Amino acid sequence: MLDVTCNIRDKLRRGERLTFDDGVALFLEPDLLAVGALANEACEKRHGNFTYFNRNMRVEITNVCVASCLFCSFAKLEAHMPGAHTMSLEEAWRELEVRMDDPPSEIHVVNGLHPGLPFSYYEELLRGYKRIKPDIHLKCFTAVEIHFFAQHFGMTYQEVLVRLRDAGLDSLPGGGGEIFDEDVRSRISAGKATAANYLEVHRVAHHLGMPTNATMLYGHIETFAHRVDHLLRLRALQDETKGLQAFIALAFHPDGNGMKNLPAPTAVDDLRTIAVSRLLLDNVEHIKAYWVSLTPDVAQLALRFGADDLDGTVVHETIYKNAGSHSPGALEEGELVRLIREAGRIPIERDTLYNVIREYPRAAVPEAALKVKDRQRARRALREASVQNACSSKETGS
Amino acid sequence: MFFERDGLVSRLRVLGVEYLNARPLWQALTEPPATDRMELRLAPPSELVRALSEGEADVGLLPVAGAAAIGDLELVPGMAIAARGKVRSVAIVAERPVSELTSIALDLSSRTSVVLGRLLLARRKLTPSFFGAPPEKAISSVKGRTGALVIGDAALEIEQRFPYRLDLAEDWLEWTGLPFVFAAWFARPGVMTAEHVAMLRTAKQIGLTRLDSIAKAHSEQTGLSEASLRDYLAHAIRYDLGDDEVRGLVRFWSEAASARLLPSCSLVTHAAVQVGAPFMAPERAILESIPLANPEGAMNRAPTSNKTHQRPSLDVLLQRAADGERLSLAEGTRLLRDASLFELGLAADAVRRRKHPHGVVTYIVDRNINYTNVCTTSCRFCAFYRPVGHAEGYVLSREALARKLQEVVNAGGVQILLQGGLNPDLRIGYYEDLFRWIKKEYGLGLHALSPEEILHIARLENLPVATVTERLRDAGLDSVPGGGAEILVDRVRKKIAKAKCTSGEWLSVMRTAHHMGLRSTATMMFGTVDTVEDRALHFMKIRDLQDETSGFTAFFCWDFQFENGVHMAPGEHGTHLYLRTQAMARLMLDNVDHIGASWVTQGPGVGQVALRFGADDFGSVMFEESVVSSAGTAFGIDASKIESRIRDAGFRSVRRDVHYNWLTDPI
Repeated sequence: MLDVTCNIRDKLRRGERLTFDDGVALFLEPDLLAVGALANEACEKRHGNFTYFNRNMRVEITNVCVASCLFCSFAKLEAHMPGAHTMSLEEAWRELEVRMDDPPSEIHVVNGLHPGLPFSYYEELLRGYKRIKPDIHLKCFTAVEIHFFAQHFGMTYQEVLVRLRDAGLDSLPGGGGEIFDEDVRSRISAGKATAANYLEVHRVAHHLGMPTNATMLYGHIETFAHRVDHLLRLRALQDETKGLQAFIALAFHPDGNGMKNLPAPTAVDDLRTIAVSRLLLDNVEHIKAYWVSLTPDVAQLALRFGADDLDGTVVHETIYKNAGSHSPGALEEGELVRLIREAGRIPIERDTLYNVIREYPRAAVPEAALKVKDRQRARRALREASVQNACSSKETGS
Repeated sequence: MFFERDGLVSRLRVLGVEYLNARPLWQALTEPPATDRMELRLAPPSELVRALSEGEADVGLLPVAGAAAIGDLELVPGMAIAARGKVRSVAIVAERPVSELTSIALDLSSRTSVVLGRLLLARRKLTPSFFGAPPEKAISSVKGRTGALVIGDAALEIEQRFPYRLDLAEDWLEWTGLPFVFAAWFARPGVMTAEHVAMLRTAKQIGLTRLDSIAKAHSEQTGLSEASLRDYLAHAIRYDLGDDEVRGLVRFWSEAASARLLPSCSLVTHAAVQVGAPFMAPERAILESIPLANPEGAMNRAPTSNKTHQRPSLDVLLQRAADGERLSLAEGTRLLRDASLFELGLAADAVRRRKHPHGVVTYIVDRNINYTNVCTTSCRFCAFYRPVGHAEGYVLSREALARKLQEVVNAGGVQILLQGGLNPDLRIGYYEDLFRWIKKEYGLGLHALSPEEILHIARLENLPVATVTERLRDAGLDSVPGGGAEILVDRVRKKIAKAKCTSGEWLSVMRTAHHMGLRSTATMMFGTVDTVEDRALHFMKIRDLQDETSGFTAFFCWDFQFENGVHMAPGEHGTHLYLRTQAMARLMLDNVDHIGASWVTQGPGVGQVALRFGADDFGSVMFEESVVSSAGTAFGIDASKIESRIRDAGFRSVRRDVHYNWLTDPI
């Protein structure tokens, strides 16, 4: 471990906030395990031995998109192009209807920026889902889409969000964060919401009481400094609004897109990025290991590198699939539980807002049995954390 | 504890050694009344260590090196095979003074004597090379600057033959002023009652009255002089374990641990002294009065009760492991079970850094060719094999092989890994021709035929393994892959691969191959019915053989790949367990140079992270691996991707050959 990492460790133990330089130093620390151990400590302090997942499904209604992002293998630009596809409302609803015997608790809708669909299409989409399953949580439309709606339909962010909320929207997913640095962003995703737009959409949503997630797409042409800058801009927003639930670092996958000559980030980078995110985002409750992007094996390791959430069953994901991800299309609930247990954690099925739906018993494997000491420590930490949480939620009234 | 015992406790299972000097301690145990309460089995020392560590026995007359390797055993007080001064039966013999020797043949049947010999030579700042050899061969190789370490009857037989003779116990006394303990009764914790101890004690007392008859019988059997043997038993060997003997024992353990020859071992004496057998009280008093004899405070463990036995904390153990100290079986088991992922990873990384300070990770460009899938073993975890006569059975034709081999050469490959099923139609001539042809036409390194296949050929041809190995070597075999080791514990092997060789056979083929000058890798497949103890024992068996032969180049492990066509449910597995196990391999296998990351089974991501968990080799750029990929795992990756993964993990990459020589500069 480098001296600078030792200093960071001491800072963390004193409860001090990390700086931009600390963030860059953590990315440069050669000893991955040293960074991982710090992140693990921070994660266990917050969540003890619990790891969350949910039962969700993805719906990608259209891949027609006016933006041209170099990293995207999903969008087909114009509606008449081969491979371009837009679901009818009935098709989109059927995705849920066919799963009603064992329904997910959340639907996650992400689309291309389709210039031809009316706003009412989106409102109807949401209403339809709520008709089918009134208690389903609708986590739909990234900030980039919201920005697009505002421009395209001549509304303010607030107007767009209020109308969608009235139609049933519960929260926003974090997609479209990419990299905030203006220079990098303009090179990889011209023609869509800027960093300021993205952050403003989230800010407005938070003011409306709508929680959101945030993302970062890493491993393409950005530098470590750009990643740290991105994380710190999110931290600043969160200081202001406290509306971010979870942060997801998304690994760039190069197949079939405009940056196919770049290598994909490797597992060591994935784990390090998750670890540094955990350490820098000291005000964001949850760090996700999105297994679709990481592969389930690496996501499993990430549970000891700062992540406390394995996302969900993610039935029907196609965006990463098109970019060459080798992850399976969906994971059975039992598989998620196994992945979490093998990491020595206790699986918690949550809803989108992190309410506990079910706590799974800890598996009676030696991996689990090993941690009597840890468990005691975690329980203590959890008690402290819950006291802190109780205090802070009183302050913010959230 | 780490031993399982099936069924109800019946008679105490006692292991004795066949050696002459042990006979007085166990002879009376073969007679009533002892036979009512105990069940004595005789075995060579190495088998003793195995049986005790696998829970097949409760107490054994263990060589003290074996006791340290297992760890966590209780020393039964009062009895030992020891010597104060000349022991006569353990010596280095030579034609020249010991200080002039450049190599020494070792009779490897007594590890305690080998460790003692190494310590005594190191103390004199002598660094001859060592090589293992059976007793007669060791003695016949004594010439000029080559000496031999001889033990037992062989040593007594040639007492006068060589002009120079270093008696190890005598030299030990001169160095330390203490007697040397060769063996003593060691028991699994908690199994011995006071009555058992008293019984062993009585057996010893009876034995001591029979030295004459024991000497006479042995003389008749071996032709050695009866008077000499009587003198040996009565005067050279001492059967009491007193104050000085215990000091000698602790001193030996401590010296051997500092020299990294044995795990550091703390003395735990059996508690029976407290409850019964008042005649033992004086010895207990002696034990307690002994001052701290080594820096770890080994003697500080109160011998009054094993309940108060304080084991070192996990942190201390991890630090010792990271510092490269040898871990006992019990310590390895404990770390594997209790230490956290990061603790194991950081310790293993520290060991890797010390062993490979250049920050280099190697890989090889090779191809795995499965020449046949016809196999007679029907392992439950295997999805690759087809029984004899099955429609999908194949043997690759020369044409198919030629195409594959040419592709390897074209891709800059330097080796092929050639493995297959146990096909009864393929005779030794097939392999010899194949090897010669490959060597002649393609010049590739041949990492071929796992022990199971070699045994299969030996059985098929009715030839000794040594002959088969020699012929294959002469035909071009370079190195033996460590496949088929699975878990080297027979209880597990019987459950998952009934028809396969025993752990002893597997190790013995490797020993033979190493003696023939071949190198080999060692492997482990875990995650079936194996336990943490089994995995630690597997490491220890590999380590023991490596002490003997130094023939293993590298160690690879992976978890059982549960997929289609496999007739067995997985046990514990997963990426965390993989990384823990691989890290533990780095910590336990202190005498194996390389630990490989098995990305083929774990995926390139986890494989890369494994480089931070003790691995210094990234395995191979493989074209095909039908065994693993037919179980559903199929990762393809090319050399540039391997290199960038290695670099991303913070290392420089180097291409290697089958012997782990560097073929390129680090990049």
